[in-house]
Parts: sequence; structure tokens; C-alpha cells
Amino acid sequence: MARRARGAGRTFVKTVVDVEGRTEERVVEVPAFEPDPWAEAADLAIVGTRAPRADATEKVTGRARYTADMTRPGMLHALILRSPIARGTLTSYDVAAARAVPGVVDVLGPGDAPPKARLFPREIAYAGQPVAAVCAESLEAAAAGARAMRTAFAPQPFAATFESATAPGAPLVRPKGNVMDGSPVVEQRGDVEAGLRAADVVVRREYRTPVQLHSAIEPHGAVAEWEADRLTIWESTQGIFRVRQQVAAALDMPQSKVRVIKQYMGGGFGAKNGAAAHTYVAALFARRTGRPVRCVLSRKAEQSDAGNRPATTQRVTIGATRDGTLTAIALSADIPLGVGGWEGGPGQIYHELYACPNVRTEETFAYVNASAMQAFRAPGYAEGAFGLESAMNALARELGMDPLALRQRNFAGVDPRRARPWSGNALRECYDEAARRFDWVRRETRRHAAAPGPLPTVVRGFGMAAQLWPTGGGPPSYAHVRVNNDGSIDVLAGTQDLGTGARTVLAQIAAEALGAKLDDVRAVIGDTESLPYTGNSWGSMTTPSVGPAARMAAEDARRLLLEAAAPMLGVEPSDLEVHDSRVMVRDTDRSMTIREVAAQLGDVMIIGRGTRGPNPPDRTIATFGAQFAEVEVDVGTGVVRVLRIVAAHDAGRIINPTLAESQLEGGVIQGLGYALFEERVLDAKTGVPLNADLHDYRIPTIADVPAIEAFFVGRADPIANHVGARGLAEPPIIPTAPAIAAAVADAIGAEVTQIPLTPWRVRAALARTHGDQ
Amino acid sequence: MRLTLNGRPREVPVEPGERLLALLHRLHLTGAKFGCGQGECGACTVLVNGRLSYSCLALAEACDGLDVVTVEGLGGTADHELAPLQRAFVAYDAAQCGYCTPGQLIAATHLLERHPTPTDDQIREGMSGNLCRCGTYPKIAAAIRAVSRGDFAGGVPGPGANVAPPAARGTETNRGA
Repeated sequence: MARRARGAGRTFVKTVVDVEGRTEERVVEVPAFEPDPWAEAADLAIVGTRAPRADATEKVTGRARYTADMTRPGMLHALILRSPIARGTLTSYDVAAARAVPGVVDVLGPGDAPPKARLFPREIAYAGQPVAAVCAESLEAAAAGARAMRTAFAPQPFAATFESATAPGAPLVRPKGNVMDGSPVVEQRGDVEAGLRAADVVVRREYRTPVQLHSAIEPHGAVAEWEADRLTIWESTQGIFRVRQQVAAALDMPQSKVRVIKQYMGGGFGAKNGAAAHTYVAALFARRTGRPVRCVLSRKAEQSDAGNRPATTQRVTIGATRDGTLTAIALSADIPLGVGGWEGGPGQIYHELYACPNVRTEETFAYVNASAMQAFRAPGYAEGAFGLESAMNALARELGMDPLALRQRNFAGVDPRRARPWSGNALRECYDEAARRFDWVRRETRRHAAAPGPLPTVVRGFGMAAQLWPTGGGPPSYAHVRVNNDGSIDVLAGTQDLGTGARTVLAQIAAEALGAKLDDVRAVIGDTESLPYTGNSWGSMTTPSVGPAARMAAEDARRLLLEAAAPMLGVEPSDLEVHDSRVMVRDTDRSMTIREVAAQLGDVMIIGRGTRGPNPPDRTIATFGAQFAEVEVDVGTGVVRVLRIVAAHDAGRIINPTLAESQLEGGVIQGLGYALFEERVLDAKTGVPLNADLHDYRIPTIADVPAIEAFFVGRADPIANHVGARGLAEPPIIPTAPAIAAAVADAIGAEVTQIPLTPWRVRAALARTHGDQ
Repeated sequence: MRLTLNGRPREVPVEPGERLLALLHRLHLTGAKFGCGQGECGACTVLVNGRLSYSCLALAEACDGLDVVTVEGLGGTADHELAPLQRAFVAYDAAQCGYCTPGQLIAATHLLERHPTPTDDQIREGMSGNLCRCGTYPKIAAAIRAVSRGDFAGGVPGPGANVAPPAARGTETNRGA
């Protein structure tokens, strides 16, 4: 195995890692060696194949156990009481009355939790805020206890919108003020004013995007159990080690005494990246009562206080010369975060997607009296793409130019934001291949294909949009590969499978690198107690982060295996190769199975170790894509029906095309919901969510799903990492909404600048443009 | 109370007001999932006397004397014996996180009992009560169509003999193109 030497002999160096669209500088451990990248033309037997999902059988038989299913002997049930007001004070609550309810075992209220858990302040900052918790022999008894508590509140004026929170004299959402420190966040290159002066055409628009709710079908939940001074938590989470760190810190315990387990979870999408109130409630009740405790959110709580994609208002100005060359892009954005959050704003994609010399973004983040945002599949980029790509489509209409040609003209051959090359970029192939499969050039022939009805009220339209998402992943991630003495092989990594397929993909990578049959390899994940550290499964980074560590561990195990087998076969290790779980002497018919080698080793165990090395310092790693949409709009009712989406993406090497395509389809379908229906609504008078369920907050059903043709173009990316894979789960949601909105605009000859594209918004746009019909 | 649970007669104690989903979980049948508790998502779907039922709403005591089938009852009696729909879900990658999958399988079973060769509209109508946030719908529809074609009839390969997923079927749609 060829090896890459450790740089300058330093073991620990700083590197830049992409996390959910942001970059962070981190100290990383540089491996002593790293395998050479698998070349594009490498003859890979298992990586790149459509292996069945490793845990599919557990899932189709109902045997997969999720946190919400978990029961432990003697387990109690906990329920969190939440504020019905948006701002004010909890004035009274009756713990004794709650305790008197049959079945109630314990109650937690203000002051009962350790300060670091930040539970149950009396001051209320949003509707749905936890104020107390009850634990009981049954969930019904806990609910009865909660009712008996008779909480009372003194409401005060609140500000649940950006406009009201930033108005003079606004109620304070946070003591230090409602505008986030550091806002507005300004980033610019070149001179936007000069760029606009040089433009032949300038388009100005204001776009609005809604609050979108993650709506995982398994709500957030935890089961906690103490054994002496050691705590075990089963948590539906994207980050077992992060939950462990947070719980240990909150409870003032050593991390070594906290174990977090997550084998299966019913969806995350960014909302399950850490411990939350339910985690601490379960852990505290379990400690106080000496019994296991389960705390799973109700659907109402899940839809009102479990994270969301924040709304945005994006004022976009975009200018180009007559031939479509961009001369300036400017964004001024307002982002109401809720009571907390981070700067996952829409601005970044404006700097990255096109080769425009003059770009300026200004984002103002405000705290409002509503539940805090959390990362949601491509945070910032899904919102930003709706503004940027809608403006590009508007510009194409103003120029009388094909929107595809406009994008091809402004293709960014290098990362325009950081002025450095991409590790790989097949966006142009995405444009070409998606356009070809969509038959974009002949789309006009389909325009009048709508079924004739008594009135010609259904019109058809076509649109497209592009996508970029920074997703190189990075260190730290560790993996071990162990060869058991019956020849079965375990890949150990403290990562998570959200339904994305990490279990399958890591086994494929390790089997490939070791030369084992895939059936002989199992990925063991989801337990902090015994597995090497990896980070959260966020930012589409599990495959590019943990994949290289798993490969390296398997290569290390292979090296040891060959050293063990060489004397058994009477040759040198360099004479050996491994395929199909068989160690073979090159150019002979002599061989042993891995099982035979392992059996001869007896209790000597082969353990390979792998570490994810740093990213290349001088490249930007991103995933790209283009989506084309075909829609029908009923101009009488304003109802939009998406007929077809063609999605082409480039994520470097695809480890398992079937599972990867499933991610694309899922992203497109969530993007369709974002485009057409999904919008959290707060009551203007009370600040209370009005659609905190799955009936009035509508996510796509099977009946909403169009024909989706989703596929990958592009090549392995040996510069990004030695596996050649980039992340792919988040990117497909990014361009769907602007592509659908463009198709609607094309169909009706009027632009709807606010998603979701509800029937009344479509009708209003028609009325503005064509007069009431 | 007595009921037939996945083909076997059972006598079980029921608590007043207990929902069928809670009873099933108490009996360690956790295939049916809690998703919303209010009949919106379909993750808890089971068959009661051959009809679809949201077990999070159904009262357990109302099932006295009835025949209840959960995802655990779809396969054969052997430990790893999968029903054709289950094998098709594996082959077509119709489960991502897998949480809604038991409910989807029950709904699909019911659909194919009513319509052995369902049209695309019948698939949409029959499956629209079961939400999937991961977006496996195209794969679910493809798996149902494959079973209705007879692709998974006969034989009962266990999990080690999973039917290989079809080659790239990017153009497979749930609208019959």
C-alpha cells in the first residue's frame, strides 16, 4: 500500500471543516500514513454497487428498535408541560396537586434542574417553552398530573415577527436585545454599485420563504437509566458523542460515566443534533426516582418546539449585460431565528454559485418570540437558492434568454468566494444531462399537452434551478476494523445511520479495502461506550468523514492479515492479495480464506485503525446539481401540480447508487413540500402555533409525488479524500423549490415571489399580472 | 380480553381506555410505531378484521374477539421468512429511516388484497394515509407494482438471499410516466 507521509512530522495541525454550510477551523490529528486515493478507473468490486441496505430486513419486519419503542423494566413515562403564551412569566403552579394524582411519581419545575441544563426558567420567551415536567407510571397518569398542576401565567407583549422584533420599543426577546450580535453580517467582493452601472438589465425582487418544520415521523425522545453513578441514554439523535458531551456537562459528570446509544432513528433532517429538554428531563427523573424514564415528545410538541428552518425575506438585486454575463448580485436579508439559533443565513450561496465579480450580501438575524431554529437539510442554502435562483430565472425572462444558457454562461470554474479551485465540479455535466433527460430544448412541444377539459384552465410550465453545497466533511473521525477468529469482520465507528445508509456504505468501503465479501462485514455504530469517536451526522458529512477512516482501518487490517498469512503460505506479504475473503498468492492457485487465517491466529486478533486526515488546504469541496421541473397550474383555482422533476447531481464517487438515489428523491420530495405546502403559522394575536400537527402542517403524501428522475453524474473526487466521495443527502432539497416556482411562473406568465406557492398566492399573482379572471 | 393476534389466539389483560398501539407495545410488538397519536401519520397502521386501523386511536377493548395483524404477522412463521411485499421493500430500497415502514407495509398489504393489480391512482389513494418524511414514496410505489406483477411470488429467501435491487430505474415513476 502506498502511503502519504505525515506533513512536516506534525501530528496535530489545524484544518478547515465544513459544518452545515459554515466552515470551522479545527485541530486535527494527521494520520501517520494515508492510502492513495482510489482512482476514477480503479477496479472496485463492492464500492459503487447497489448492495441492499444492510438493515433493511430489520426495518421491514418491525424488528428495528427505535427510541420511541424502547421499554426498560420498571420504566416511568415523562411529559413536559409547555407554555401557552409567547412571552411573560410563569406565576404559579401546584406541584402538590400534581403529586397527588394516582400514578404520578415525581415533578420537576423551575429551580429543580441543574442550571447548566437551562430548564424551566420562569420567564417565558415563546409559546411551547418547557415550564415543568411530570413523571408517572403511565403517560395517561403523567398527563393527568400535568392537568392538575394548574399552571398560571402573566402574559406580556411579544414580538414573533422580524418586523415587530426590530421595531423601536419592541418587547425584548433576549435581555441584550433582539438583533443578534454581529448583525448585519456583511460579506462582499468587488463593487456592486459599479457592477450595476455596467449592467444592461437589472432585476429587483423581494422573495419570502416560510418557517419549515422537520416533521420527522419519530418525535424527539430519550430513555434514561442509571446504574449506580453511571447513566445510559437511548436517544433518537444524529450525534451520540455530542449528546454525551452535553449531558455530562449539564449534570456535572465525567463523560466516561455517560453512555449514549442510538441504533435506529425515525428521521432527523437536522433537528436531532444534540441533547434537549426531553433528554435532561429523562435523565433527571431517572436519577431522582431510581427507575428508567422515557420522555418522547408529543406530535404537538414536536411541531412546535423541536427546531425549524427559519423564515427569510430576501431583497435581491441582480444585474447582467445583454449577453447574460452577471455584473452584480446584491442581497439584503432579514432572518427571524426564534429565541435562539445561529447564522445559517441565505447569503452564502450568493457568493458561491456563479462567477460574478461583484457580490454583496447583508443578513440581519433577529431573535423573535418563537421556538428556536435548528439546522434543517441544507440550512441557509435551501432558503438562499429560492432567492438567488428565482432572481436568476427572473433575469433570464427580462433578458429573453434561456435560463439554462444564463447559468452556463456564468458557470464558476473556480470557487469565486474563496478564489481557489474546486476539488471537483461537474455542474456543467449536471446541466447537460438533466436538460437532455428532461428534453428541455423541446419543452414547448409539451406546453399544450394538458388534458383538454370543458374550459382551458390548466396551463403547463417548465423551470430549472441549480445547487451547490459545501460538503467535504473532514476530521476528526476514527474507525477500527477487527477480524474475528471465525473470519467475520466488524467495522467499528461511533457514527449514526439516520436512514441515510451509513451502516451499508461503511461496510461496503471496508469490505472493498480489506478484500472481504460484503456479507462478511458488518458496521457497528451508534454507541459511545465502545466505539471510536466520530462527529455528528450533519452537513452530509458521514460518508466523506467516516468513510476514509473506515477505509484506512480496513487497509490497516489487510496489511496485518497479509503479514499473518505470509508465513502460513510460505511467501512474503508482498506476494499476497485479497479478494472475496480469500488471501491468494499472486500468480498461483495457492490461497487461504480469511476465516482460515483467522482460525490459525487463534485468539490473536487483527485490529486495524483508521483516522480521517485533513482536507486539502487549497481547494473548495462542494456538491453540485441541477433540477428541472414541469408543472401544471389550474388558473381557475391556483392549484399547482408538479408533473415531473429531473435531478442531476455531482457528489464525487457514489458508494451505493441505490441508496444515494433514495437520498436524492427524498430531498426533492421535501423540497416539493417546501415549494407547495409547508408553512408554520403562528397566531398573530397570541404567538401560538396554529398548525402544530401533521394535518394542518401538510407534508407531501404519495399522492403529491411526481415522476422523479434522480441520478448522479460526475466522477470520483480523489482530491477531496482518498475514498473520492463528497456528501449528498442535503443538496437535493436546495434547487427544488426555485425550479418549481420557475415552472409556475412560466406556466402562468406571472411570478409568485413567496413560497409555499399556495393556491391563493398563485391566484393573487395572476390577478396582479392579468387582472382578475 | 381475547383476540387473534398475528394468527394466534391470545388472551390479554386490557386497561380501561388503553389504545391498541399501547397494548401492542406492552406485548412487545413494537413494529407499529407512535408518530402522532392522533391518526394523522399512519405509522401505527395495523389490520383489524382485515381493515386498516390507526392503532394509536383504536381502543384496545374494542378489539375483543377481533383479528389483529401487525407487521410482525406479515411474514411466515419461520424466523426469517419475509412476505413478498417485505422482500420487495428490501429490493427497491423502500425504507430509509424505516420508522413509517411497518405502517406502509400494512397499508400496501391491504391495498393488494383489494386490488391485486392496482392502478397508479389506486396506489396513490390506497397509500396516501401513510406519511413518509424521508420521501421513499417512489420506491414504495415501485415495490407495490413489482409485487402486483408477481416479481416476488414463490420461494421465501431469507435476509441473506435478498433479491438484488433492480439496476438503475431512474425513470421508474409513480405516474406510469
